[in-house]
Amino acid sequence: MTEPVINVSDLTRRFGARTALASVSLSLPRGAVYGLVGANGAGKTTLIKHILGLLRAESGSVRVFGLDPVADPVGVLSRIGYLSEENDLPGWMRVDELIRYSRAFYPAWDDAYAEELRQTFALDPAAKIKTLSKGQKARAGLLIALAYRPELLVLDEPSSGLDPIVRRDILGAVIRTIADEGRTVLFSSHLLEEVEQVADHVTMISQGKIALSAPLDIIKESHRCLTVRFAEARPQPAAVAGVLRWEGAGHEWTAVVRGDSGALRAAVAGWGARIIAERVPSLDEIFVAHVGAPADS
Amino acid sequence: MRSPAAAIAWEFRRRHRWGLIALAAYLLVLATIKLLIVHPGRSVDFDDESFALVVVVPLTATFIYFLAVFSFGLSGDLAARQSMYPARMFTLPLTTAALAGWPMLYGTAAMAILWLATRFLAVWPSDVDVPMIWPALLAASLLAWTQALTWMAYPMPGLRVIVTVLWLSVIDAVILLALRYKAPESLMLAILAPHVPLAYLAARVAVARARRGVVPDWQGIFARLGRIPDVPRRRERFSSPARAQAWLEWRRHGRSLPALVAILLPFELALLFVFRETPVIVFEILAGVLLTPPFMAAFGAATVSKSNPHGSDSYGLTPFIATRPLTSASLIAAKLKATIRSTLAAWMLVLVAIPIALKLTGTFPLVIEWTHDLIEAVGTPRAIVIVLLGFSALVASTWKQLVQSLFIGLSGREWVVRASVFVALSVLSIIVPLAHWVSGNRFLMGALWNALPWIAAVLVCFKLSAAVWVAMRLRDSGLLSDRTILLGAACWDVVVFALYGLLVWLAPALLFRGYVLALVAILAVPLARLSAAPLALAWNRHR
Repeated sequence: MTEPVINVSDLTRRFGARTALASVSLSLPRGAVYGLVGANGAGKTTLIKHILGLLRAESGSVRVFGLDPVADPVGVLSRIGYLSEENDLPGWMRVDELIRYSRAFYPAWDDAYAEELRQTFALDPAAKIKTLSKGQKARAGLLIALAYRPELLVLDEPSSGLDPIVRRDILGAVIRTIADEGRTVLFSSHLLEEVEQVADHVTMISQGKIALSAPLDIIKESHRCLTVRFAEARPQPAAVAGVLRWEGAGHEWTAVVRGDSGALRAAVAGWGARIIAERVPSLDEIFVAHVGAPADS
Repeated sequence: MRSPAAAIAWEFRRRHRWGLIALAAYLLVLATIKLLIVHPGRSVDFDDESFALVVVVPLTATFIYFLAVFSFGLSGDLAARQSMYPARMFTLPLTTAALAGWPMLYGTAAMAILWLATRFLAVWPSDVDVPMIWPALLAASLLAWTQALTWMAYPMPGLRVIVTVLWLSVIDAVILLALRYKAPESLMLAILAPHVPLAYLAARVAVARARRGVVPDWQGIFARLGRIPDVPRRRERFSSPARAQAWLEWRRHGRSLPALVAILLPFELALLFVFRETPVIVFEILAGVLLTPPFMAAFGAATVSKSNPHGSDSYGLTPFIATRPLTSASLIAAKLKATIRSTLAAWMLVLVAIPIALKLTGTFPLVIEWTHDLIEAVGTPRAIVIVLLGFSALVASTWKQLVQSLFIGLSGREWVVRASVFVALSVLSIIVPLAHWVSGNRFLMGALWNALPWIAAVLVCFKLSAAVWVAMRLRDSGLLSDRTILLGAACWDVVVFALYGLLVWLAPALLFRGYVLALVAILAVPLARLSAAPLALAWNRHR
């Protein structure tokens, strides 16, 4: 069995009195797209910063390619492509200077691929970064994160606040990276429909803890959405084993169920109600059911 | 909050409550001394030192503190081109007149009250006739102009510092001139009265332009000038990551110091045309010119050591820099290379400008005469060594100014930066009156002279202990290899021995013992603080 690209073991991190990560363990094997989803402040960026070595593990351990990213930043960072949510590219640099500067750090930099990306993204080489729009800045950041075909691509909320065209570019880049065999993508977002489009594996994080981590197919298979119609209006249906969340009002309520829905079906029969619809829930619904709040709250 | 004016006042009060509490406590102590301990109306013969310690130093510190508070200088980047007025306030539903006016009103009122309180509460020496109104107006004017000039956007980084210092110096010079010619209070008031309204108008224009996002830019002109010989090289690849990083550091910080020096030099050297007939002033002007690079480097150091130049409120490292696949030591090495280039560029300007100015003003013969005098006094070899050593000391001092506070700024912790400023100000407020006190006492001067070797020895012990601790931490954290640490230590030893040899050769043996010169050499060559820079950066980078 190949060594996992990222191995996080029992990682805990506190900022003052607040626990940002609580005993998080995660192992990401090579060659897949991992979606890291969670509400704002759930701990996604904190986890990514530990993976990049920007935060030191207070307890537990973080290994990337089998290396400690704090002890060996060169060994780890030279194999990672990173696009930050902050988009902090130096504003005074021109696009061609940014490319020239960045290529010095990566022996595997592919000039032809970089030029192809530049043309695809319509980036003017003479334009200063500070004069670019937010979307163009994201594209420039993506270019320098992809041009050396990194073994691990880390995208921290890459499409936050961007228009659909730039988001499509980013998703396209993720798909192209997957096409390169053996490469891995870690993709943090609270836009769950995007994660659903590209991720093989989803990790849901809530209040510093991993709420759910499994392949997307299995997550979808193991959850059901059942709409129940009651004879009389109810303020809130009773709790039933397996039901993660009830949503609705009056006569009609929808339950998100994890695993076997037998207990709910029996309860529905007992209440004299009937199931009027059943379907596979969206990732957004599953997320809300698990963490109890909308993903972008 | 009943009104926007009250909200702005509340923000000043809330944010600086500890400073204001300290000030109130100080004024309370003064009031207690004045009203209870010293009999009211009785004249007191305070000696200069006590007066400096009790009144002048805290008052000056508070004055500077108020300048920083009311110009929003504590949360902005003094060297940046952008206005220091907080951008978050531009979206408030207030007129530009109110945005400029309320902070100025609060600031000028605070300055005036500070003076009046000190005037009435301080125990002035009996022979000092202290005026009441015009110093309050002067303090208010200086604050108002500081606000206007710091809220203005500038076409070049660092220009704000130069313009502000020059303009405040001009106001000071005018007042000193008026005092020298014993101008009556009415004239002083007439000189000072227009300042606050004028500064308000300037501040209003500055805030209005900043609100519209107007930032003039001369960097394009300099960039175009610098690009001419650079065209073929620009397309070349960097041969290593270290070179790429050094290029980034040079582009980010390296050009500030030469630019600042280039702006100041013409003004300073132009004085040679005015005073070319007065050798003493020519000497003073040249000394001032030679001290310009180290002086301006002290300002430039703030930007070099700032870990995040893009966010004026942020001390942390940007992810873009933090995720460079370079060791923290390599990131520091790039900074050091850029500061060396910056220092050399600044001094090249000085070395080119001085002979041209001497030639144009006809003051070259004066300098040749002084050189002959020096040769006659100490002999040719010693004269050469003294000049070279003095020049090297100035160049080294410029570089030292740029790098000695790296470890503070790169730590990325606001509390470290603020604590270092507080400690520096506290030490200064003790040292200055202490030095003044000692210099006036022959017995103490003698005792201090005798104790100098011991003081130097204690400082050397501190320095070497700190250096050993830093070296051990560098080794344990794997930031530097054993070989690099040993090589660095060996280089430092060589420089110290070379300096010691020169000092022994130059200094009269009767005046300084050999071991004193050795201690001086050890203290003069940077070691502990410089070595701590990679540790500070790693602490910031891997939080």
